[in-house]
Order: sequence, then C-alpha cells, then structure tokens
Amino acid sequence: MDSTLILIAILALAALVHASFQLSVSVLTLMSGHAIGSRTSHLRLLRITSGFIFGVFITTLLVVSFFTYCFLSFSKLLDARLVWVLLAGLMISLGIAVWLFYYRRSDGTALWIPRGMARFLANRAKKTTHASEGFSLGSTSVFAELIFTAVPAAAAAYSLITLPLPLQLGGVFVYTFVATAPLFVVYLLIGGGHRLSSIQRWRETNKRFLQFAAGSALLILGFFMYAYEVIGMFPVEGM
Amino acid sequence: MSTGKAIDVVKRRGDRPTESFDRDKLHRSIHAACLSVRSADGAALEAASRVCDVVIIWCEARSEVTSDDIRRQAAKALTVFHPEAAYFYQHHRMIM
Repeated sequence: MDSTLILIAILALAALVHASFQLSVSVLTLMSGHAIGSRTSHLRLLRITSGFIFGVFITTLLVVSFFTYCFLSFSKLLDARLVWVLLAGLMISLGIAVWLFYYRRSDGTALWIPRGMARFLANRAKKTTHASEGFSLGSTSVFAELIFTAVPAAAAAYSLITLPLPLQLGGVFVYTFVATAPLFVVYLLIGGGHRLSSIQRWRETNKRFLQFAAGSALLILGFFMYAYEVIGMFPVEGM
Repeated sequence: MSTGKAIDVVKRRGDRPTESFDRDKLHRSIHAACLSVRSADGAALEAASRVCDVVIIWCEARSEVTSDDIRRQAAKALTVFHPEAAYFYQHHRMIM
C-alpha cells in the first residue's frame, strides 16, 4: 500500500473515532431542549445551534492545526518511530478506557467527564440565548472532551505533517468535517422538527454499541499504526 | 389546586437552604418539558396543571419532602398525561 494512502487511512479512521465521541451532541441536545422549552422562536433556535456547531467546528480545526504546527516545529527533534509508538500506545490505552468507562453506569447518557465540568456545561446550555453564546459553548465543549479526542487528533496531525501541503490543508478540513458530522445530523433533525426525546432515546438505546464501536476503533487504529508505522509489517513497495 | 399547608422542600444534596413548595415553579418546569418535545402550548399547560395537582395531593400527607421526591412524583404523573415529555423530564439531568 502507498504510504500516502496509509496516512490518509489513519487520518480518516481518527476522524471517525473523533466523531463517535458524544459530549458535543449531549450539549447540543440539552441546549436545544432548553431553548425549545422556553418558547424560543425556530429561527433563533437555528441561530443558537448554528453558533454552537460553528464553535465546535472552529475549535476542532484549531486543535488539529495546533497539534500539526507543534509536530512540524519539533519534527527534526523527534524520532518518528518513537512518536508513532507513543501515539499507538495511547490509542490502545484510550480504547480500553473507552470500553470500560466512557458512559457512567446509570440511566441516560452521562459521560465520564468531571462532574463540575458537566454541571458548568449544563448551566451554560440552559442560559444560552444568543448565537455568540452558542459559539463559546461549542468551543468549551471541545476543550471538555479533549481527554478523549486529543489522541485521535494528535494521530491525525502527525499523519498530516508528512503529506504534501495541499493534502495537509485538505486533510485538516476533512478531519474537522467528519469529526463534527454527528452535530450536523442532530442539527438537521432539530431543524426538521424532530422531537428531542426521540433523538435522546435513540442515543440512550444505542449508547453501549457506540461505546463499543469507539473503543474498538481506537484499538484497531492503535494496532494499525503500530503495524504500519513502527514495525513496518507491510513495507511500502519499492522501498 | 393549591396546598393547604406549608410544605418544606429540601434541595438536592442539601447544599442549598430548604424552601417552601412552589406550585408555579413545578408548573413552569413541566410546561417547559412538554414544550421541549414539541407539544402544543394548550396540551402542555393542561398536562402541567394535572401533574401539579397530583404532586400536591401526594405532598399533603407529608410535612417535608426533597426536591428529588417532587421530581420523581411529577415524572410518574407526567408519564400518564404525556409519556414523551415524561421521558425528557426524567432524563434531562442525565444527558451528560
């Protein structure tokens, strides 16, 4: 397999893993619930939710760009194989952690994030009435979720630095689009008049599957990175 | 329907002072839960009033209740009048 294809595959799988994390979707559901419950007009609801998604999009873009910049700045000092070992190890550990801990063992879709942070996000979601507040809430929710998303974002960033420049720029945008895709789906459902209770019920019914899928994808990505980039199990043709 | 006697409500985890039972506050939260699931305003007001009546009857046998008790009883009553809203009312604290 071509090395560029391998790096694109790592980027794509990392983006899918990122997309499977649920904190931003939870905040969006809660925020929309409060907005609809307080008789906010449909137009304003769409403005608030658009602001939120834009905040998540921009912050995710900045986080991946930041990691890419850091790796580019220190690429001469870092041993590539060592970085891949570290990323693969973190990815596998995170996969096991997600399998065991991602959702709390209770009804609902409560996540293993610090309770203070969850309360803060819930309070802000309740008080959000403007698109700009939605933007900052979206941005904050990305930071709150970094404990889970930092490793896939770092793996994607490290894949990006060895790609040609146009692919690097495209890669950052594609990663961000895929990572925020579930929010666009929820946005369309809310905009289309779906009940939040059915969205939340679907999330609750499928939460164990989502948890298993996210954990498994992290493990697969970790082993894939280790096999291709560390031990070179499948050497690139002609090398 | 309003309560005939004062009922003290002990707040969640006991970290805020006890307050008197407030029918309007309960009414507002049930009404908002019904609207959140896209219920019509009239139906939401009707469901909220009925739930408040049921909760008040339940409270009258007690001198002190917790806010969690009220939430539980309200959710139970709301399940009868508006199951979708009851689901959202029960679960909105457990979304994240």
